[in-house]
Amino acid sequence: DALLPAPQSISILSTNMKHFLTWSPVIIQGATVRYSVEFQGEYEREYANGSWIPISECSLTTATVCNITEDISATVAYKLRVRAELGATRSQWSTTKGFFNRAMTSLTPPLLRAVADGHHLLVELADMGPSFQFRVLYWKKGQESRVQQKVLKEVSSVVHLDTMEAGAEYCVKAQTHVEAINRSSSFSPTQCVRAQGDTSVWLV
Amino acid sequence: KIFHLGACRVSMSMTEIRAGFTAIKAKIQSRDPVRTLSILSHPHSLHKVKSSDRCCMAHQLFTFYVDKVFKHCRTEDSFVNRKISSIANSFLSARRKLRQCHEQNNCVCGEESTEKFKQILANYEGLNVTSAAMKSLGELDILLDWMEKSR
Repeated sequence: DALLPAPQSISILSTNMKHFLTWSPVIIQGATVRYSVEFQGEYEREYANGSWIPISECSLTTATVCNITEDISATVAYKLRVRAELGATRSQWSTTKGFFNRAMTSLTPPLLRAVADGHHLLVELADMGPSFQFRVLYWKKGQESRVQQKVLKEVSSVVHLDTMEAGAEYCVKAQTHVEAINRSSSFSPTQCVRAQGDTSVWLV
Repeated sequence: KIFHLGACRVSMSMTEIRAGFTAIKAKIQSRDPVRTLSILSHPHSLHKVKSSDRCCMAHQLFTFYVDKVFKHCRTEDSFVNRKISSIANSFLSARRKLRQCHEQNNCVCGEESTEKFKQILANYEGLNVTSAAMKSLGELDILLDWMEKSR
């Protein structure tokens, strides 16, 4: 087995609770090298004799990336390892240095679009998966001290925030929150929209 | 979700545990050869545990599953093994929170819950370890339903 070099530069990329293991390819002229990935949670280390569990979607794969999201499904410390395989020959395992905990994922601000639908202030939020809640802040421009908040535990594509005064401008920003790791993203850039109509119409 | 277990308030994400269990429940329960006996519900249901004893009982049951059950449930099915790992690691994370409360002496283990837990261990020891572990895993929804009642 030592003839086949182990994969190098093994690392975990994790954004918005989606986790991927990546590694550099093992190059053998004229041959197709395949890879197999296994994971080990804190439970396996502490209670199951340090056992490793194969990820079937990344067994004998030619890709150099593996989606480990489904298996990193608890807020504990995980280790990952990958090895190269060529026919019956297998390399040594390359194991992640240190541990990975999903609490380390990087959280990006949500994509949002503020919409003025006549006198109604609406917001469109991109769905980010079941782990995500949204905290939406909105206010009438010029009245920054009277910010209102709406917490959305589930995302429907469009959310009604408020009824606006005619011709007034309203601003919106939002952040995500992931309860499983008890962390929030930074806020999205603020977006402002103007309500239809003008004040004189209301004075009649 | 916040669970009110006697004097303890513990936040745990049960959704992922429930989803992991639902994905393998049929496969696990099909491996349970002894249908006439229950580990968790014999002779008395968990729902009879007094609310003041819930924290202690929850901590004992999570410890029971972590220490005695999951490790004996390894199968030849990779999908099942991955889901068991997911549940086991989530239990480990949840038990850590339960232990914090338990250690702050907010958890009183009354006579009834002590007796109830002894009965569960006796039911477990009454079977060979693999059957007992597989049956206990198959009854996980009994524990989850009981926990959900504490929300």
